[in-house]
Amino acid sequence: MLPSATMLILTGAATGLVGSLLGLGGGVFLVPLLSLGLGVPIRTAIAASLISVIATASASATVSLGRGLVNMRLGLALEVATSIGGLAGGLAASLLTHQQLFVTFGVTLAVMGVIMAARSRKRNVIHDPDADTGLLGGRLVEGERTYTYRVKRLRVGLAASLIAGAISGLLGVGGGIIKVPVLSTFCGIPIRVAAATSTFMIGVTAAASSFIYFSRGDVALPLTAAIALGALPGSLAGAQLSERVETRSLKILMAVVLLVVGTRMGLEGL
Amino acid sequence: MNENASGLDKTIEVVLMLGLAASALLLVLGLSLGRSSLLQAGVLLLMLTPVGRVVVVTLGLFHQGDKLFGFVSLGILLILISSGIVALRL
Repeated sequence: MLPSATMLILTGAATGLVGSLLGLGGGVFLVPLLSLGLGVPIRTAIAASLISVIATASASATVSLGRGLVNMRLGLALEVATSIGGLAGGLAASLLTHQQLFVTFGVTLAVMGVIMAARSRKRNVIHDPDADTGLLGGRLVEGERTYTYRVKRLRVGLAASLIAGAISGLLGVGGGIIKVPVLSTFCGIPIRVAAATSTFMIGVTAAASSFIYFSRGDVALPLTAAIALGALPGSLAGAQLSERVETRSLKILMAVVLLVVGTRMGLEGL
Repeated sequence: MNENASGLDKTIEVVLMLGLAASALLLVLGLSLGRSSLLQAGVLLLMLTPVGRVVVVTLGLFHQGDKLFGFVSLGILLILISSGIVALRL
């Protein structure tokens, strides 16, 4: 028996809130919740998650754009890779077993969580507000201080974006759970900018693969509609709350989420 | 980031908000009235909202004279259109 509309709206709201708070689409929580918690078939859960991720990412992007946190040039450069990955992932979704996907993804998330926790004290900013940002860097205003950051190891960011896009298409997650730690840890981007820029990209990434799922008939309309409707207010609330959480807490929270979800997903595949 | 970025940011915000609001309205009506045609329209509109955002960014960047990133954005739009064409042929 499928869950009630109220339960689905609440599920969408909760995953939208947490996803938006962490700069993710929320799909990384929604797919396990729907498939393991509410008994929704996995393919239906993935398709519903992709649509919900579009709602969450678009709603939180409106908030982060207003705050000037999105680095649009960087987002566009990486979006090329995520949308190609999203399209490829959507097409490849039927080729791999879910067990193989869950184990690979689970291990990846757990490793990301450890790296994130180990580097939670490191800050990616230059304290001189007039320092050169380079082509893709930018400035971040926090309170009365302006910081500068430069983008390092763009190739690593592009590779991570391609993988994130492919995983988005395969598992119905936005891919922020891979992009945010990589951009923050390896590419020199402050975590708030990494999260906001990732969210800015996620809607497009999810859209690239959602057309494939829609065309295959995997989108269950009432279920998807109820989740997306819950995700909209949930993600707006999460985006508002994210400003009040300090950077280090955000990194530690993200590390815990990566470890817990990674372990759960890995166990599911065994 | 260039000086006109905030103007473009505001336009993107408006496009995203309009897409989300119209889609939410269709989804609410579809669920309340039990009409799957409205639900389908709402979901499709939601899926097309990021595409609309890419169109606005592409036009905005060319308008600002930022050809390099205008072409990058155009490339993203072409990938999304390819995805739509592939989906239609499945």
